[in-house]
Amino acid sequence: MDVTELSAKVELLQAGLEAANKMNMEAFYWWCTALMIAIHAGFLAYEMGASRAKNALASGIKNALAFAFMVPTFYFIGWWIYLAFPGGFSIAEGSEAGLAWSLNMGPNLTDSASGVFWAAFALFAATTASIMSGSVIERMRISAFVILAIFLGSFVWILGASWGWNPAGWLTTKWGLHDIGAAGCVHMISGFFTLGVLINLGPRIGRFNPDGTANDLSGHNMPMSLIGLMLIVMGFFGFLGGCIIYTPDGWTTIYNTPVNLSAFAFNALMGVAGGMIGTYIATRDPFWMMSGALVGVISAASGLDVYYPAFAFVISFVGGLIIPRIHDVLVKLKIDDPVGAVSVHGFGGVWGVLSMGIFAAGYPNVEGPATSFGGQFMSMLVFAALGFFPGFISSYVLKSVRLLRVPHAAELAGLDICEIPIKAYPESHVPPSVHKTPPVAGTPPMGSGATART
Amino acid sequence: MHSSPITKWEGAEAFFTFADKPGVVMFLFLLAVAVSVFAIVSIIKHENQSYRKLK
Repeated sequence: MDVTELSAKVELLQAGLEAANKMNMEAFYWWCTALMIAIHAGFLAYEMGASRAKNALASGIKNALAFAFMVPTFYFIGWWIYLAFPGGFSIAEGSEAGLAWSLNMGPNLTDSASGVFWAAFALFAATTASIMSGSVIERMRISAFVILAIFLGSFVWILGASWGWNPAGWLTTKWGLHDIGAAGCVHMISGFFTLGVLINLGPRIGRFNPDGTANDLSGHNMPMSLIGLMLIVMGFFGFLGGCIIYTPDGWTTIYNTPVNLSAFAFNALMGVAGGMIGTYIATRDPFWMMSGALVGVISAASGLDVYYPAFAFVISFVGGLIIPRIHDVLVKLKIDDPVGAVSVHGFGGVWGVLSMGIFAAGYPNVEGPATSFGGQFMSMLVFAALGFFPGFISSYVLKSVRLLRVPHAAELAGLDICEIPIKAYPESHVPPSVHKTPPVAGTPPMGSGATART
Repeated sequence: MHSSPITKWEGAEAFFTFADKPGVVMFLFLLAVAVSVFAIVSIIKHENQSYRKLK
């Protein structure tokens, strides 16, 4: 074989390697996106189960519509926001690649990256809306939820991601923020946005007594909720995969620092386990135990690349002990959050971002200062404010024009019977006339929890 | 309907069917935005009708 032949073969091999790299990258994010859809299947089951039977389908339809509206609106504006605002509010050069009419935003044989990254981020966006959806079940209008979900998913969180989950984001370049698992931009922003919404939305009818004590308005299907939560945990492995950047030279974090999937595997699983055990010890409640899996992964999220796995377990265990208590405080403040999203995601995110600063300061960043408690703390405040104020203001506006909450009569009757053309449990339906008929001796009483009216 | 913006694969880069001119791209984009807005308005109308029936 002469030199010419050899160099031709080398060129051929190089071209093959480049093509394989491109395809591997595309395939990786494609499957991460597919796995993330399990998060939505999980939230769907979780929230329908956590609703009383009279509201089961209305809760499901909200969740499904959040997904359906998030995809096009994130295409229209969301991806551009991510590329445009890493510096704050000034528009970055090159961000036009994210505009919906750019040549990168559709079939383009010279761009293998835009579509799969956009898809993964669209699913992150839909996750933020799903985090909110469980908290507002049984009393928010579908239209109001869709509007708020679009605002949260296609505008607010992605601005936070541009600031703090981007190699050029100002929270990283100025303060050294390190939050690779998105405890801040996804979980904190969604949780605090939801808190702002809940203040304006108010509690469900019957949730609190005049003396301030709370009543239990249990959902109709806890087993379905538990399965849903486990599906969310599974989907989070797609979510965390989407947090890693595939390059021809190996994996990096979203901040361009080196990492590998093994680090994520150790710490994500140890985090899930720590959170489950912590919440179980704190409550003995299977619902909280499965929410604790989320608490665990969020508690360890910021430092998934750097923690010693046993320590990630401990951080998540502590998160699991604390978060149910924070939910109790919110209940005392008459915040009606049926699924605990504010405490799990909002305050779990606070613990995750701060833990990185408390226990893992001093790691170098590619751009900006090293990780520090001060940087993590100030970034945490930014995420909390960026979530809370848009949520509070947008829901206040909807409340002012009477678009936020369903009428009392609809809430009492149940949202399914009012808005949905099909029934969740048609064979369990008991017509109102049956309730008026005196029971015949020897026949079992009709009507069950499935048709109970609060 | 002959709507392919390309006639051969060699050298093909971006190809958006029905959207091979900037004006058409913008029109389709605005149409998709309008559909989304219409859908939200439709949900509001459906809710209002449902609540009226309940009274």
